[in-house]
Amino acid sequence: MSFQNVFIAVVIGTSLIVAAMLINNARPPMETNQPGPEYVRATGKCAECHSKETSAIVHQYSMSKHASSNVTCYDCHQSLDGQESFNHSGFELALDLTAKNCAQCHKTEYDQFLRSRHAAPAWAAVAGAGAFTEEQIEYSERYHKGAVRRPANKLAIAEGEGVLEMGCLSCHSIGRPNADRSIGNCTECHARHSTSIALARQPETCGQCHMGPDHSQLEIYNESKHGVLYALQHQNMNMDADPKTLSTRDMPIPTCATCHMSGLEGMNVTHDVTERLSWWLFAAVSEKRPNYQDGQDAMKSICLKCHATTHVERFYAEAEDVVLATNAKVQESVDLMISLRSEGLLTAEPFDEPIEFVAFDMWHYYGRTAKHGAFMGGADFVQWHGNYELLLKMVEMKEMAKTLRAH
Amino acid sequence: MNALFRNSRVLIEVFVLLNLAFLALDIFIAHSVNSFHHPAEWVPFYFSLLAPILLIAELASNWRGKERRMLIGWGVGFCSIAVGIAGALYHLNSSFFETQTIRSLVYAAPFAAPLAYAGLGFLLVLNRMVDSGRLEWGQWLIFLGLGGFVGNFLLALLDHAQNGFFSRTEWIPVFSSAVAVGFLAATFFGHVSRRFFDITLIIMGVQALVGALGFYYHGMAVKSGIASSFFENLVTVAPLFAPLLFANLAFLSGVGIWDVREKLHGANHS
Repeated sequence: MSFQNVFIAVVIGTSLIVAAMLINNARPPMETNQPGPEYVRATGKCAECHSKETSAIVHQYSMSKHASSNVTCYDCHQSLDGQESFNHSGFELALDLTAKNCAQCHKTEYDQFLRSRHAAPAWAAVAGAGAFTEEQIEYSERYHKGAVRRPANKLAIAEGEGVLEMGCLSCHSIGRPNADRSIGNCTECHARHSTSIALARQPETCGQCHMGPDHSQLEIYNESKHGVLYALQHQNMNMDADPKTLSTRDMPIPTCATCHMSGLEGMNVTHDVTERLSWWLFAAVSEKRPNYQDGQDAMKSICLKCHATTHVERFYAEAEDVVLATNAKVQESVDLMISLRSEGLLTAEPFDEPIEFVAFDMWHYYGRTAKHGAFMGGADFVQWHGNYELLLKMVEMKEMAKTLRAH
Repeated sequence: MNALFRNSRVLIEVFVLLNLAFLALDIFIAHSVNSFHHPAEWVPFYFSLLAPILLIAELASNWRGKERRMLIGWGVGFCSIAVGIAGALYHLNSSFFETQTIRSLVYAAPFAAPLAYAGLGFLLVLNRMVDSGRLEWGQWLIFLGLGGFVGNFLLALLDHAQNGFFSRTEWIPVFSSAVAVGFLAATFFGHVSRRFFDITLIIMGVQALVGALGFYYHGMAVKSGIASSFFENLVTVAPLFAPLLFANLAFLSGVGIWDVREKLHGANHS
């Protein structure tokens, strides 16, 4: 047997094996360092098809933090207990992704979210408590008494089902009850395949729902000094900074998330957006929250990153004066309606008489606008869009009451 | 054994016929991945249904008659080559050229797979052009076996790369096909001794075992697939029949090696 032939055979075979191993070593770790073969397949196989069918989601994902952290499509899309599933190219996937899928890794954030008004109270404000389990209702009522165990919103019912889905619920679904017994969907703020922290920190994201006459926070923010500075300097901010190490160097200008959620320089990060609030500003006549002092202290410690103590104290005192002044005007309208009802001049049916709409606008539009304007530095909203309208509408209500009593 | 190979031309005809027939099932499963998205994906399926029938008809006719008819085989052979080359071009067009990275190579449609048709077609044509009594006949079989094992090496490497070589056993076919390529290349290009032919035959035997082992592992992977439907798992998890290509090519190469060894060294040489 010729040595030359054996040598040729061994050299060719060995060269092919070495080349194969070198090529495999050049592959990115996220395609190889996975807990199971189905996860490995998911990274490439999903992208292979979806780059032809829904190419944008592949690019969104590839630019996301999830992609750089080796989170695969299957990590999020696999079906969990209680989720309806379907076969898709060899994968058993969840029909609908919910907060439960995110909570596999982000449990702390999900638990914080559950305590917030973004969870069950948001949905119940429109659809009532019906779809929640008793356990979910009890848990949420512990933090927001009366906000979940309530009937469906009468105005939303009057406006009709189509409007309910495309209107009210498209925002209030942030706290929707899911079939898997979780609540809500994180993608409302973080988007789906981008799964972006920067997006959640952007004021426009909150402004998708927190805008318009009934809760005009985005408009107020844009008018405020915070908003104007953000418009000028947001290109220089590091909106993607890690929440655990976020500093004022990353975000020198506050956005909604900075004040309500972020853990600036060692502070606690929270997904309970109500944690730093001290008043029930959305209510007709506002009262202090049970955690008034803790909430206010937490918010003030954020304010102190930019403002001196005297300034912060003065700001809070002035804002609370506006709350009290607004409360007084709204209370007058509430008293007037109670008196008209007791006199039998109004039907039991809600929203079927003009004065009911004006009374509703008093607190729902102008009262809220004035109070939010006061706490967010929106002067125009405190006055022209708030208290001026309250004065005007009160006069109109009194005239309407006079007419009703004359008949 | 020698008696078997005395009618080696018929043996190769039956080999091609069975391969083409089996490809119908294989293509049906493979193209179900994208639900036969392009109408052209049905072409190899129907061709694989029709071609064996034509070849059987030709074989039966030749069995009974005194005169050998080869026209059908010529036609099937050239069509098979055309189907194989067209398939390779279609597969290359799928995503390979969009971004030329290792990733795009790994996740492109298996561009070497359709060349199986070209190989089988070439085998039919070869069987009609070259007299099986000549040395050249066996050498062509070794050459086709060598080409097949190069394809096996690439397919095993790229297919298992999709799995990230999650299980170490996925390296077995890569290693074994590399060894097969080395020995078949030396057999084809060099002047080798009878003993070297024997070693190459043993290596082909090992390839057949690797094929059987792969069939078992792929079967296990399909069985434990995460989709709830068996067919979904069959189509997407691991190509169940792909490892059998090792046994298939080992047989083809084995016939060629045996034939050349007998013609060069005979029973009395060593």
